[in-house]
Amino acid sequence: MNNPLSQRNFLRHTATGLGNIALLSLLAREGLLSPARAGADPAANPYTPRQTHFSPKARNVLVIFCSGACSHLDTFDYKPELIRLHGRPMPGAEGLRTFQGEQGDLTRSPWEFRPRGQTGKMISELLPNMAELADDLCFIHSLTSKTNTHGPGENFMSTGNILDGFPSMGAWVTWALGSASQELPAYVAIPDPRGTPQSSVNNWGSGFLPAAFQGTDFNSSNPLRNLDIPSGVSKSTDRATRSFLNRLNRLHLEKYPGDTDLAARISSYELAARMQLSVPDVTDLSTEPASILRMYGADDTRNPLKAAFARNCILARRLIEQGVRFVQLFNGAYQTGGEGVSNWDGHKVLKEQYSKHGPVLDQPAAALIRDMKSRGLLEDTVVLWCTEFGRMPTFQKGASGRDHNPDGFTAFLTGAGVRKGFSYGATDEFGYRAVEDVATVYDLHATVLHLLGLDHTRLTFYHNGFERRLTDVHGHLIRDVLV
Amino acid sequence: MNQTILRKAGFSLIAVVAWLLPQSLSATEAASMVFTDRIEPILRDQCFDCHGADKQKNQLRLDRRSDMLRGGDSGEPAVVPGHPGQSYLLRKIRTDKDSERMPPKGPGLDEDQIKLIADWIEAGAVTPESYGPDAEETSIDHWAFLAVPEDFPIPTDYTGSPIDFFIGRRLKEKGLDPSPEASATTLIRRAYMVLHGLPAPPEVIRSFVADQSEGKWERTVDSLLSHPAYGEKWASHWLDVARFGETHGFETNRERPHAWHYRDWVIEAINHDMPYDRFVKAQIAGDVIGEPVGTSFLVAGPNDIVKGQDPKLGPMQRMNELDDMINTTGTAFLGLTLGCARCHNHKFDPVSQKDYYAIQAVFAGVQHGDRMIESQDEDAGSIAALTDRLHALGKELDNWPSSGLRDPVSASWNEEKFNPTEARVLRFVIHETSGNAEPCIDEIEIYQDGENIALAHSGVSVTSSGDFEHPLHKLGHINDGRLGNSRSWIAATRGSGWVQFTFPETVSIDRIVWARDRQGQFSDRLPVEYEIMAGISGDSLVRIAGSHDRLPPGSDRSAFYARVIGKLDPDERGRATQILRQWEKTKLELRELTQPVKVYAGLFEQPGPTHRLYRGEPDAPREQVGPDTVQVLGRLGLTRDSPEQDRRLALARWIASDENPLTARVMVNRIWQFHFGRGLIDTPNDFGRNGVPPSHPQLLDWLACEFMNSGWSMKHVHRLILTSKTWKQSSLPTKAGMQADAGTVLLWRYPTRRLDAEGIRDSILSVAGTLNSDAGGPGFSAFEVELENVRHYHPRSDYGPEEWRRMIYMTKVRQEKDSVFGAFDCPDASQVIPKRSRSTTPIQALNLLNSRFVTQQASLYAARLQKECGDDLNAVIRRAWMLSFGRNPGQEESAMAVEFASEHGLDQLTRALLNANEFLFIP
Repeated sequence: MNNPLSQRNFLRHTATGLGNIALLSLLAREGLLSPARAGADPAANPYTPRQTHFSPKARNVLVIFCSGACSHLDTFDYKPELIRLHGRPMPGAEGLRTFQGEQGDLTRSPWEFRPRGQTGKMISELLPNMAELADDLCFIHSLTSKTNTHGPGENFMSTGNILDGFPSMGAWVTWALGSASQELPAYVAIPDPRGTPQSSVNNWGSGFLPAAFQGTDFNSSNPLRNLDIPSGVSKSTDRATRSFLNRLNRLHLEKYPGDTDLAARISSYELAARMQLSVPDVTDLSTEPASILRMYGADDTRNPLKAAFARNCILARRLIEQGVRFVQLFNGAYQTGGEGVSNWDGHKVLKEQYSKHGPVLDQPAAALIRDMKSRGLLEDTVVLWCTEFGRMPTFQKGASGRDHNPDGFTAFLTGAGVRKGFSYGATDEFGYRAVEDVATVYDLHATVLHLLGLDHTRLTFYHNGFERRLTDVHGHLIRDVLV
Repeated sequence: MNQTILRKAGFSLIAVVAWLLPQSLSATEAASMVFTDRIEPILRDQCFDCHGADKQKNQLRLDRRSDMLRGGDSGEPAVVPGHPGQSYLLRKIRTDKDSERMPPKGPGLDEDQIKLIADWIEAGAVTPESYGPDAEETSIDHWAFLAVPEDFPIPTDYTGSPIDFFIGRRLKEKGLDPSPEASATTLIRRAYMVLHGLPAPPEVIRSFVADQSEGKWERTVDSLLSHPAYGEKWASHWLDVARFGETHGFETNRERPHAWHYRDWVIEAINHDMPYDRFVKAQIAGDVIGEPVGTSFLVAGPNDIVKGQDPKLGPMQRMNELDDMINTTGTAFLGLTLGCARCHNHKFDPVSQKDYYAIQAVFAGVQHGDRMIESQDEDAGSIAALTDRLHALGKELDNWPSSGLRDPVSASWNEEKFNPTEARVLRFVIHETSGNAEPCIDEIEIYQDGENIALAHSGVSVTSSGDFEHPLHKLGHINDGRLGNSRSWIAATRGSGWVQFTFPETVSIDRIVWARDRQGQFSDRLPVEYEIMAGISGDSLVRIAGSHDRLPPGSDRSAFYARVIGKLDPDERGRATQILRQWEKTKLELRELTQPVKVYAGLFEQPGPTHRLYRGEPDAPREQVGPDTVQVLGRLGLTRDSPEQDRRLALARWIASDENPLTARVMVNRIWQFHFGRGLIDTPNDFGRNGVPPSHPQLLDWLACEFMNSGWSMKHVHRLILTSKTWKQSSLPTKAGMQADAGTVLLWRYPTRRLDAEGIRDSILSVAGTLNSDAGGPGFSAFEVELENVRHYHPRSDYGPEEWRRMIYMTKVRQEKDSVFGAFDCPDASQVIPKRSRSTTPIQALNLLNSRFVTQQASLYAARLQKECGDDLNAVIRRAWMLSFGRNPGQEESAMAVEFASEHGLDQLTRALLNANEFLFIP
């Protein structure tokens, strides 16, 4: 890769010429003229790095999204009262009905909590590897959501709106900042090996932002669609065809001197060619040493699911390394079994289901954070671990699992600009409602944008009547979690 | 009015004012002095800086009475005379929360000051005359809210198109010249792309270029506008605006298999040039005006079908459904972003929060769902002819031992026709029920002059022999206008029972429709023996219809005839059998035409009261609001309990009126936008103050005027545009033009642009010769659907002729975009899209170069060329250029194409052509 004469570098350096003309315009049309965007060149290439509102702490984002509503009470939010009052009704909750209906008694987590690291943070045995990172993590225990349904909840966490069709955080970020990579998509979503999350592509959609800012989804087992040249076409034929096409387009462009749209299309084919080389490169994990595979658990033959997720984790690191601006890594999928079977939606048999999901997430995700740290990637990357909402401290009536709870749940941040070994906000003594420093998903988004040097009130795009924002008309920066 | 309140306020007023007033003052004068002396100084010190004449933070003004009573952005009245508790002002100065308290800086008001204000409000909040009346005419000076003018400053000696006059005038101001007319080949190619979304066929180009006769352009335009491909192309623009999708969206994203009727309806309406005012009315109240499919518009958006048990969630989901209808109606027809007023008064336009809820009251009875729709008017002729034929044949059959009986009882549809009968009481008596169960009826419709007068809101009262107790089955469901098992009535007794309708006055009825379950899911509990009795009073009932003249339940008329015929002698049997065959065939045809079909066109019921919601929160209802429209723009003249249908019809009429300043302007702007890539207003869904001002305001108004004067003919507007010099200009850039106006806003040339997703896909199929022209009906799928509770859509990997129909017939799945063409900014119908973004990305390039769909078409295209031109490579290339680019190749192109194709094959040549800029750009 560092060989200056490698084909990729060759393409990178020769793709100037018309490429430069295209830099003037690729996708520069609708909306990039938004007056609120500091330093935005209205005719900028979507993949060109752009100015921030103020000096950023982080340049890249990695989101680890546990789909299905991962229980805060069985992972990171320790509640001694829940243990003490285990098996009794929750005080003041008579006749409480939540998403699936009636509630049974308060139920302690099946997993023990133990103090971790210097800070002594109490974390459950469900995620022993992640627990070891406690001193590096910054927990937000007082998150609240606006909905208790998965689809809208995932939309809300990913796009700031419970409805479909709004731009995802990754779309906003890449629209605002462009990309540091000229050969990979600026924004990649990595679906779980089992399939897509509940609200599917809406999690990485571009909404009303131009399509260029939509997340490109692929993972280590499902490659980017239409990347390979058609079967039966040799590489040299393919190159000849593209070169013929290029000549046709240049002849046509002569009639329209200065037409930036036409030039942009020519350039997009050059970019596509570079992607054809670099995407297989970045997804090819064969160059990773055995020690790395072991560290992530990608070599775990007894748990192929964990191994597959571990490969996605390695892919995530490689993408960030290559300058991909925003990576969204999913753990949990809906189509291979909702309601806890292949995601974190533990309604009925929490212990049995989480005993399977914990190991799939734990070692690979912990290794990912550790590996990024040791490579210095956390110097300019912020990592957000999140889920759409929390779960109830009670078990559902007649079941051994927890119902949805949007009134208090946990996420954590780590990496560039984030305070280490800190816990912000708190839920009540049972973990039912956020009561201390109550935070919203808008606040979380505002804070991530802030770390990237973006003021969430100034990052706007006009659509159907007004200047839209990731944070709508809400959101307050959570200053306490910043360094 | 102040006086009235003063009187009501009684003693508390006296308590406040008595000590400082000379007896000679009137009560009003006295109260007003209280304000001037005690209250105003506080407001001046603490409030006017931000909420006064110079500045109105959050649009709140406290130095005018009307503004005090109206309140600011919150939608809450700041002052409610006589009711301190309801006055937002008091809440804001009293609250303990630092972040909410007013004034935001300083220590706030002291206890005494707060009490003074509270007392003043309690006493009627009297203000001096200088503060103005309770309500002031809101001045609407924004151009789009003013009537469309009818006079335009076009010089009398100007003979060209007024379009060119207005465009030319602005170009002149900028020192620019319009471009010369484009070549004939460009014009015809452009016209096809814009009007049909397809490339012009080579034969058409040739004959158009050769044609030297007068009026050839006008004739071409007419013929393009009368071709069905025009509706297929322009319907897609409307479907974007209507956020039309064929799945529910949200997490399950289940199919809506009966939604496609609306897509066909829009295509038909556009092709037949349905007057736009009717087009509008049909989509809001089509059930009233004989366009029942049109109301699909209201429910074309996403709908969350996962209803949780949480008591907070349900009402919020319902509010979101209604918001989608309100917002789409506002943006699509009026270019008004009504949705902005859901939580607070509109920040830019004169739409109050109350207006929003008034419009919500119009739609409050609309529910998502399939509705059974009877055959359309256009089929009436064929239905009548078939019915006559069936009768005639039936009569012949009856010559043999007569049956004369009607069809047996059906679970999903029964119609009783009889001579007009005067009645005040109508009783439906059930004598026998299938399975001897408790009988069930989903709805009884009783018609007078074609109108169902049995609906609950028309004042009819209903009694019964006794009701089965179940939440889905209630007596009230029998005339609630909603069909299907889950809104039905079941009698308390097995086998028999009755329902009685008593009308408020004597009616004259001639038709009754009833069924067990018109959604066709249930056929048990079917009343099989029944009588319908009617009379002026309960003790004078006579039978007007019943099962006595119907075939036995479950029996088949053909079988009945066949049995009769079987007993005839051979000669007669042969003749009779022939007639029976014809009779059966006719019957089948008739059934196909008359059978009601399920359409996802929404269900209607009489709604309960609507309230304004503080901050849009369902658990913070405020005053009740009746159905109406935006107050400063008009009134609907409805009452709080107006029937559901009347509400929608009134709103529809108000929108689709020559008087409405927005409707025509908004639509001509859309038409203009799809011709030139940019509207005269660049915010097509926002004509309000926050929208972009028009580039050519008088042109917009002139077009709007023409539109209305033509009887709202869209084709008329197309003709005006297409025959203008502006439209026919060359698209080639000029130095001066690019320098002064690179974005081509002023139209010194025709602006080129990339085809949209549908245009690209359809064009590929067209040149490859594979386009399947099957129109209408259920769509084809771009996906293999995984039938989980939550649907999963996997892109197809192989395609055949069924998938080679035009893309408008591709089933519109929300959230999932076509794996090849979705990347070309094709929206997924989750949101209203008045104008697509036009992006250029490497993913698009990869999709067009490498996807199975395109490479397959490239091969088929190559095969077509070979078939048509044989081995003559030069001929192949000429033909390919004609098909792909609408012109002959230049010398250089020809040479390089020959060289390339001989080395790499025709498949690669066509693969390159389908990726070429010239193929994808409107010239």
